[in-house]
Amino acid sequence: MVTKNVKNVNPVRGQRVLTKMQRKQTSNGAHFWQVDHKLKNISEVPGNVILPSPQAWQKFKWLRKYFGEKPKEGYFIWVKRQVDFPLIACINIASPKISQDLTNLLVIEKGIKVKANVVCSAVKNNLCGTHRAKGKLLLKSGSSLEYNHFHQWGEKDFVSPDYEFILEKNSRLVYAYKNLFPPQNLLLKTTLQSNENSSSNQSFVINGLNSRIGISDKVNLSGFNSQAIVRLRLVGRKNSQIEAASQIKATVLSGGHLDCQGLLVDRTAEISLTPKLICQDKNARLTHEASIGKISEEELTYLRMRGLSEKEAIDLIVTGFLEK
Amino acid sequence: MRIIYKAVKTLLKIENLRVKADGKEILKGVNLQIKKGEVLALLGSNGSGKSCLAQVISGNPKYKVTRGRIFFEGRKITGLPPEKRAKLGLALAWQSPPAVKGVKLSQLLKKISQRRPEFPESGELMEREINLDFSGGEKKISELLQILSLNPKLVIFDEIDSGLDIKRAEKVAGIIKKELVDKGVSILLITHWGQILSHLRPDWTQVLLDGRIICKERDFKKVLRTIKKYGYEKCKKCKPR
Repeated sequence: MVTKNVKNVNPVRGQRVLTKMQRKQTSNGAHFWQVDHKLKNISEVPGNVILPSPQAWQKFKWLRKYFGEKPKEGYFIWVKRQVDFPLIACINIASPKISQDLTNLLVIEKGIKVKANVVCSAVKNNLCGTHRAKGKLLLKSGSSLEYNHFHQWGEKDFVSPDYEFILEKNSRLVYAYKNLFPPQNLLLKTTLQSNENSSSNQSFVINGLNSRIGISDKVNLSGFNSQAIVRLRLVGRKNSQIEAASQIKATVLSGGHLDCQGLLVDRTAEISLTPKLICQDKNARLTHEASIGKISEEELTYLRMRGLSEKEAIDLIVTGFLEK
Repeated sequence: MRIIYKAVKTLLKIENLRVKADGKEILKGVNLQIKKGEVLALLGSNGSGKSCLAQVISGNPKYKVTRGRIFFEGRKITGLPPEKRAKLGLALAWQSPPAVKGVKLSQLLKKISQRRPEFPESGELMEREINLDFSGGEKKISELLQILSLNPKLVIFDEIDSGLDIKRAEKVAGIIKKELVDKGVSILLITHWGQILSHLRPDWTQVLLDGRIICKERDFKKVLRTIKKYGYEKCKKCKPR
């Protein structure tokens, strides 16, 4: 299985994160690929299970407690055997006014280490699509997941991902959500439940442009000695409103850190950050840092003196901010 | 070697430049001229306006030119934005360059030029965020790398020798001489120390005090001797030639 690098580089609208060719390559290499409501491809990964969620609901009764209700569409990935390449899932909107209602479930078995790249995108800018996704990620004891979640939407889309992470003891999660081309409306919700000795590192990188964005992420440190880091990097460009509420709650001895930073690039942008720490155990240690600022004039002048135009200099600073 | 590049053409000409920052007048009628291939040293005490002059020549919008003009290769650049001045061949090595978080030095160099100058010390710096937690010496190397990438006609070095020990100052001076002076690039060398001058041997040495050029002398040693003996006050009695 040849995997493709889907890392994006430039947050400037007009320069797509994934080129058409890259998208094609990524989709062709995807283990699960859905376009609109249609399943385009499922690859077999020996020893593991990849199915559309409705089929998984029928086949495995034990899954029903995780799905809640019968899913309409989406993917089920059950990693039972170690794979040394990233598992790739692609969900696209390619037709106008499509409304996706996905239920995704990813289960990592005990002691397995895996990497997953998930790309959700609209292939055109003005499809007025809706992408609702309810996801659950279950990391069993001692397992490890590195999950890269890329979003790229058109200017008139509505997107609302709602993800729940369940970390069993000694498991480890690295979750990176990146959305440099936001839809008109984005409502991103995540909740994380940690158990004994588990650790999580979540980052949310969002570039707001002509969009309303709401983020709610909650971490519940209920496992002894569990650790969590949440990192938000938000950029407010033209006509963007971003409201982010991050919360870490510790009920036992554990540690958590919230790092929320906003960068206002345009005067029509607004960013609101609400970091919240709830501590119910005197031995737990929770910390946070939050800041919102504009681009430093000194940095801008410095880069312009190197021959970069004002726009190029801003883009470089923003890229650096998002990558940091 | 250097002499063959010396042409009579004036590269930078400043006429009666008056500059304000935050409502305060810093430069009070500066006249200055640098010819092609020339090295001009500008000395002055702290707060005399040296760094302000460097920033104004390079187009920092923080400083407001209230009177006077700046010409580069005969073209008036007084109102030109910094990036256009850089494209014309004007480069400034900052005294205290700001950190640009999240941006690696290699990323910036890739953006500004195809040229890839290299020094033994540059390898490790390339993959670090620009000026973030750089030591004094590393900042100077980083500035030099950027300057050389720009392939400039005139470089302004603002206190390039500050924060460097003697050995490092010698090394930096050696790079400036080899990569710029010997190749005919004009230099405006701003310093209040003067230590670096013996390595770069300026054609002219001038003194800026209270926002005015008060001394212009061919022999930099003479100026340094006077400053060392009597301080900058003695320079006030010297008539610019």
